Amino acid sequence: MTIPTAATAAGEGAAAVTGASRQPRGPRPAASRSRNRAPWLLMSPAMLVMAILTAIPIILLVLISFTNTDQRTLFTGAYDSVGLANYTDIFTDPEFWKSLVRTIVFTAALVGGSVAIGMLLSNLMTRLGTVMRYVLTIAMIFAWAMPNVASSQVWNWLFQPGYGVVNWLLTQLHVFGDMTQTSWANNTWLGFTSIWLLVIWQAVPFIALTLYAAQSQIDPAFYEAARLDGASEWRIYRSITLPFLAPTLTLITILSIIWDFNIFNQIWLLTQGGPDDTTATLGIWTYKTAFVSFEIGVGSAIAVVTTILLMIFTGFYIRRLVRTGEDL
Amino acid sequence: MINTAFKPRSEILTTTPKFLPSSATFHNFYVAFTQANFLTNLKNSVIVVGATLIIAIALAFFASAAVSRFRFRGRRTILVVIIAVQMLPGGALLIPQFLAFNQMGLLGTYIGLILAYVAAVLPFSIWVMRGFFIALPKELEEAAAVDGAGIWTTLWRILFPLVAPGVIATSVFAFIFAWNEYLTAYVFMKTQSMYTLPVWLASFNVPNQPTDYGAQMAASVLFSLPVVIFFMIIQRRLVTGMSAGAVKG
Repeated sequence: MTIPTAATAAGEGAAAVTGASRQPRGPRPAASRSRNRAPWLLMSPAMLVMAILTAIPIILLVLISFTNTDQRTLFTGAYDSVGLANYTDIFTDPEFWKSLVRTIVFTAALVGGSVAIGMLLSNLMTRLGTVMRYVLTIAMIFAWAMPNVASSQVWNWLFQPGYGVVNWLLTQLHVFGDMTQTSWANNTWLGFTSIWLLVIWQAVPFIALTLYAAQSQIDPAFYEAARLDGASEWRIYRSITLPFLAPTLTLITILSIIWDFNIFNQIWLLTQGGPDDTTATLGIWTYKTAFVSFEIGVGSAIAVVTTILLMIFTGFYIRRLVRTGEDL
Repeated sequence: MINTAFKPRSEILTTTPKFLPSSATFHNFYVAFTQANFLTNLKNSVIVVGATLIIAIALAFFASAAVSRFRFRGRRTILVVIIAVQMLPGGALLIPQFLAFNQMGLLGTYIGLILAYVAAVLPFSIWVMRGFFIALPKELEEAAAVDGAGIWTTLWRILFPLVAPGVIATSVFAFIFAWNEYLTAYVFMKTQSMYTLPVWLASFNVPNQPTDYGAQMAASVLFSLPVVIFFMIIQRRLVTGMSAGAVKG
């Protein structure tokens, strides 16, 4: 939270100046006063709801993380303060570091994969005819629009041991031998692979379409000039397209990091974090601690740590937004 | 790479007919429909999503009007807080809400889930609608003020009709989120008769019985249909809206 406030503080003065110049001074004091009050009046219901349903819960979360709230508390309301014990517990728990590393590596694999494929697709779209581009867009919107609970079910079915379509296809390839009985959810790497494919499949459309929108804004004159100078296609992409896409790419990457870091449904519905918690990311681990073994205090501490990590990324994101000229 | 976009989709679309003879295709949908609780859970989803939309959109309309049509001290801070809140990890709000609602006896009720969804949807609704408000020229209000209209009249008579498309687009966003939301509903609603559709779909595997994949796929299709349709409607908006940081993943 410190980073965003710092970022705003810089612009606060400028905003105050424009604000002052827009206020009609002198002739209509009454109207001016009601104009000053109006925004607060309009905002108060939403702010009240956000305070009660978001701000207070976050404060509660921090408080709970210092207690030993568990299943017993749910019935009796009894709990004890344990100070920093939950935090020392999780920081000394090798499982925490493992799942932190797992989350970071997995997020990196997801972001890297989806951004790379998205860039390829958006570049491809600029070269396709209208009909093919339209077909591709529709296909991508289908993938994107599908609720991830539904797509997870489809994935479960595709990767089903025994008669899953993917297993059958891989067996037909005769490269990996007989795969029909392979259970993807029971193997760490296969589990991650299937989750990775599922998330990428649904993340690529947004990235590709956004990049395509940005890419189609580039003045074709640049390309013509480069071609006249005999630049290679790769050179053109690197020297003309990439610099133009850079701001969009940065935003997309930061957003993807935040989203992929938070992935829960797909992992939970495909592997439940198994086998032996080897596909459990921080989100899964928080959920399991808080709602399966009901160590709510410890779960809260993990959630606090995760929130702080995410807020760092969010800080970058907001700074980017401000810098790319988004008028806050 | 086209494969990644194409292959799974074409496979999904062929799943139902491929798995069963074409004459029996509709049987899957029949099974899905008559599956215990489908209609009850559909009703739950409709109630929760509907109430969430009405509350969140009304609040967001006023709030986004305030942060976009007025300049006042603290406005930027509020906007930054709204973005930050939107990026919170799911578990962070879930745990305290679960405990508080447990204390208040709101777990397993519509009200509890609606409140949780309103909290989740409100920040991005304000953010998206703000984008539509900003696009309107300042002169509109100035002209209205010259003609002697008060702030409320301006808001209702002049601004509301003009941002109506924005209100609709935002509602669709909020609808998609609430319709798809799984984790909160899964944690809050512990009895089958109170499940929403995502939880229903995820719990389709009946224990101790071979899973009826045909029916499950049919159920997935039924469940996805409204979202896919809405997505088609607002597709163009999505790209611009989301790149401006509109939607929670």
